[in-house]
Amino acid sequence: MRRAVRRPAVAVVVPEPVTTGSVDLLVVDDGTALRGYDCRDVVRVEEVAGETGGYIVRLGRLGPPREVACREILASVALTAREIRPVPPALRDRIEGEKPWAVGIIERGICLLY
Amino acid sequence: MESPGGVSPLDEAREELLREASLSADASGRERAHEESGPMRSLLVFSLGAEGFAVDLMHVRRVLRPERIARVRGAGPEVLGLMNSQGEVLCVLDLPRILGAGSGKTSTAGMEGKFIVVIQSGGKEAGFLVDAVRDVMELAASSVHPVLDSVDPSRARMFEGTVACGGQFVGLLSPSSCLNP
Repeated sequence: MRRAVRRPAVAVVVPEPVTTGSVDLLVVDDGTALRGYDCRDVVRVEEVAGETGGYIVRLGRLGPPREVACREILASVALTAREIRPVPPALRDRIEGEKPWAVGIIERGICLLY
Repeated sequence: MESPGGVSPLDEAREELLREASLSADASGRERAHEESGPMRSLLVFSLGAEGFAVDLMHVRRVLRPERIARVRGAGPEVLGLMNSQGEVLCVLDLPRILGAGSGKTSTAGMEGKFIVVIQSGGKEAGFLVDAVRDVMELAASSVHPVLDSVDPSRARMFEGTVACGGQFVGLLSPSSCLNP
């Protein structure tokens, strides 16, 4: 014998799918522009001795090992999906060498994410 | 011999002739105007130094005042940088450099009074820093002349043609050529 299916007394609310995640970035100043690196990829940061100074950021926890020289370590910031934009195609075609995967909008301005 | 109303048959004939002449002049004027107009184009005219340039309004997305432009390491010399335009990241290009007119990089320091003309074509978009926006003009498509022979061939590919504006010939830019390296 079949039972009648009753509707639940309280409406079940299904939340809208939203991106709540964020990515923690190490923001550095390379002397020309701001660059952002995924904090999870950073192995360590070394200070360069001597007159020129600066820092070497060693990366490679998530990807292949590499190092980046920079003038200053600025901050570690958490960027949400709202603050990350694709690289404008007009720029992507005009960059030689390592290309950024996105552009981040931070308080200090615009930083390229590598 | 005069008619009862005081108008002679000769005057009537003359008036009739004048009416016909006037109607025929109107008709030929309309025909000429129709031939001359054809499809129309709207152009945005701007200047870089003393030189004038134009771009079809169909490709102009907006005109902005420049704000802080972030430089990009490793980008070509024609890239001035990136600008945050109401949450949208805009690539700003150096038009004189693209046109091969300037060897020195345009400074982004003294941008007061300048404008950024945002051009879109073929899914690409970029802003071009210009000194002044002069006018929006409407002209017949037939008024666009070929690029002048005196223009260097490598530079000529950046133009669709030449138009006369305010007693000066201005180059009509080809948006797709300017946006693609």
